[in-house]
Amino acid sequence: MLYTVRINLNNEWRVFDGVEDRETLLDLLRDKAGIRSCKRGCDSGECGACTVLLNGAVVNSCCYLALQADGKAVATLEGLKGDDGGLHPIQQAFIDEGAVQCGFCIPGMILAAKALLDGNPAPSSSQIRAAMSGNICRCTGYAKIEKAVESAAEAIRKKSGNH
Amino acid sequence: MREFTIVKHSRARLESAKKVSGEAVYTDDMTLPGMVFASVVRSPYAWAQVTGIDLSAAQKVPGYVGALLPSEVPDKLYNCSGNPPSALLMRDERILTLEPKCAGDRILCVAAETKRACLEAAAAVAVKYEVKKPFFSIRQAVDGGEEPLQPHLSDSNILWTRQVKEGDAEEGFRESDFVLEDSFHVPPMQHTALEPTVCICDYRDGFMTIWSNSQTVFQERRILSELTGLPETHIRIIKPTVGGGFGARQQLHSQPVAALLSMKLKRPVKIVNTREEELYASVVRHEGEANIKIGARKDGRIVSFYAKYFLNTGPYTTHGPTVLAAGARKFQYSIPNYFFDGYCVLSNTATAGAFRGYGNTQLAFAREVMIDRVAQKTGLDPFELRLMNHVRVGGHFPGAESSVTSCQIEQCAEICRREAARIDDEEGCAENDDIRQAWGVAFGCHGSGPSSKEGLSSAVIMANDDGSVQLLVGSADIGQGSETMLCQIAAEQLRIPLESIRITAADTAITPYDMGTFGSSQTYVCGNAVSKACQALVENLRAALGSVCKAEAAYDGTLFHAGGQTFSFGEAVRKVMFSPNGAVVIGSASYKAQDSPNPFIICMAKAEYHRKLNAVRLLHIIECVDIGTPINPLTVKGQMEGGIAQGVGYTMTEQIEINYTAQKPGSSDLLHYKVPLMADLPRLHVFIAESYEPSGPCGAKSVGELTTVPVSPAIVNAVRRASGQEITKLPLCGQFLVLPNEEQEGM
Repeated sequence: MLYTVRINLNNEWRVFDGVEDRETLLDLLRDKAGIRSCKRGCDSGECGACTVLLNGAVVNSCCYLALQADGKAVATLEGLKGDDGGLHPIQQAFIDEGAVQCGFCIPGMILAAKALLDGNPAPSSSQIRAAMSGNICRCTGYAKIEKAVESAAEAIRKKSGNH
Repeated sequence: MREFTIVKHSRARLESAKKVSGEAVYTDDMTLPGMVFASVVRSPYAWAQVTGIDLSAAQKVPGYVGALLPSEVPDKLYNCSGNPPSALLMRDERILTLEPKCAGDRILCVAAETKRACLEAAAAVAVKYEVKKPFFSIRQAVDGGEEPLQPHLSDSNILWTRQVKEGDAEEGFRESDFVLEDSFHVPPMQHTALEPTVCICDYRDGFMTIWSNSQTVFQERRILSELTGLPETHIRIIKPTVGGGFGARQQLHSQPVAALLSMKLKRPVKIVNTREEELYASVVRHEGEANIKIGARKDGRIVSFYAKYFLNTGPYTTHGPTVLAAGARKFQYSIPNYFFDGYCVLSNTATAGAFRGYGNTQLAFAREVMIDRVAQKTGLDPFELRLMNHVRVGGHFPGAESSVTSCQIEQCAEICRREAARIDDEEGCAENDDIRQAWGVAFGCHGSGPSSKEGLSSAVIMANDDGSVQLLVGSADIGQGSETMLCQIAAEQLRIPLESIRITAADTAITPYDMGTFGSSQTYVCGNAVSKACQALVENLRAALGSVCKAEAAYDGTLFHAGGQTFSFGEAVRKVMFSPNGAVVIGSASYKAQDSPNPFIICMAKAEYHRKLNAVRLLHIIECVDIGTPINPLTVKGQMEGGIAQGVGYTMTEQIEINYTAQKPGSSDLLHYKVPLMADLPRLHVFIAESYEPSGPCGAKSVGELTTVPVSPAIVNAVRRASGQEITKLPLCGQFLVLPNEEQEGM
């Protein structure tokens, strides 16, 4: 049986027809919604490369059915921007701290960082580690990723302190 | 020594912006018109004979397009390794086989219009097997009771041996005050690069275009030319953004199958591995067994060293002999008697291939643990013992002819010890009824480019009239940052801003030959090619400027002078291009490695042992490298931290396990094959020693593989001192409970 799914993808309502019951959100995003940043690393919820924010919460889209996303807000890296339309402080921090090597884990890492900082603007090292341990990275050893999250948190706090 | 303005400075990588915005294109992000999705049907048995293939059910799946069978591929044996031609790369692999020799071996390939249909069709193929009894261990391969897996190469399952000697090891043992002996084991591990192996092969009008996450586009073009019959000019291999390699992409995987299927169907074919296929049906690190005998004097002088070293290459040769040979050339102590007695064996375990360290990692683990025991036996400090025996500039490694041309090991030692002391000052080094903390040390080295000196690369630089340049290199950036590094070298040499260099890399139709991204060669080998190409460009520009100005032109290192006028680089290019008697300004060069200068490393680990639980927690890891000039210190430190993390993984929790009930590898997902998460890593402290290698570009040596090599012995030496237990097998989770790095909040 085929279904119609409505999702708010990066702040734009999109309608998808012909969705199968067993289709995952990752399948829908990559094959029908033109989203490339969500990567298929394991298809079993172990690596985090397919991370999306679903109503703001971190979700492995390979283990989430497209039908379940009906009516919900889905955020991917394509929708992330800074207030001025440029790079978001998290994106800039990842560049500046040298946290990006092959880049395959980066979309998931950045979204996980965003979910963390949205809820906790001044996370401790332990809290960063707990929040980011749903995302595997094989290149960086995580050290510069952790540093990037810390420096993004500081940059965001400084910015909001200026209002 | 000249002051660098761009090299030896940390710069953000050029392609990072695309990666953080999701715009970077990886191979699976690409779709071609008319493309079909294909899947390799693989043997579930580690050794079998295929007795029948029935496609009828698969053909009925809606969307089924076609299949490629073993009878339809050229009857050729090949070696999948992305290495330049060598007698060591013996041919024994088939594109598709009727006699699978490992679980996951390729039987046939089916294609369909959609991914879903492809999976259904592949599942509907009925293959009949006559199962044979497989064997997996080094012991079984060596004891000779099993049928030879490659009878045309060896009448036993010992495929190849290599002996390297200096002096007389037996005599040396007799001259020693004491001799220590033990046997060490390292299981196979898998690279687990986050991007799975993937390729798109598009055959049309006699031309084949391939996009794949390759480390070695030129080697693959050569091998595919032999397999398909297409000349190299009719094969174009393009490397898009790659999600990590670590050696996993230094082999052909699905490309021969996809290429032939595309030729048959006349449609582009995409094949993407599942994570399960990645784990045991691509390549793994060679399982290693090292039987070490080390003889020393009471004053700490090491007199004799014997290693009987076995590497299990699985059922196919791939890189087996080259990994074994490379492992023989990484012994950095200047000792009079040395005997490396190496064996490469065949078995039905997962096929082994290239993996960061390339034979050095397994043997360095065994060696550095034994040296630690020598330190304890003599009562010497583990640093002092190693430094006392270490090779010096002008000296040579046992069994090698080349001289060491740069070595800053003492500086590395000082930096590491200072950092360890600083850490202990801050937090102490506990010992009580519950826990005991201890430091472990290990020394390591590697090469810059293959130690067999096959390194060959080239570069072309085209100058534009606005003073910018286009740099063309065959070098494959697989995430380690080689493209930015090469641009930094070019910018430094040409004295132009980094931003005015545009690099194109790893496209066999456009970029000049590079041997491949392996052996830690990109900085030393390709970097030297870029450096020489810059010199050629400047010389061509100078000479052309002279022709145009009808006067002798000179270059002072930054500016050009001719006919009483002074020109910047850009001005000189414009003058030459748009004047009578002008020219196009291009520089090119090739570089064939004459040497493989050794980078050096020291690693220290602080571990905490919990007596009541028999548990281990890693607290800190320090590394200091001597890599000559670091072209980009930020990228170098990233390589160090990444190399440490892989070392932590393979020391603590990673192994490709054989499930003896199923008679095949059981490590088939990332739950069972446990790689470190952010919470699993200790604090990392990385340092770069001040050093300079005269033969390197801007004085550089390599760093890529070096950083993984000493991690496991450093950790093991810490844990053995903290726990009082001897450790001869990895991973440590087999002997200890492994605790996460810190107490987690709320846990």
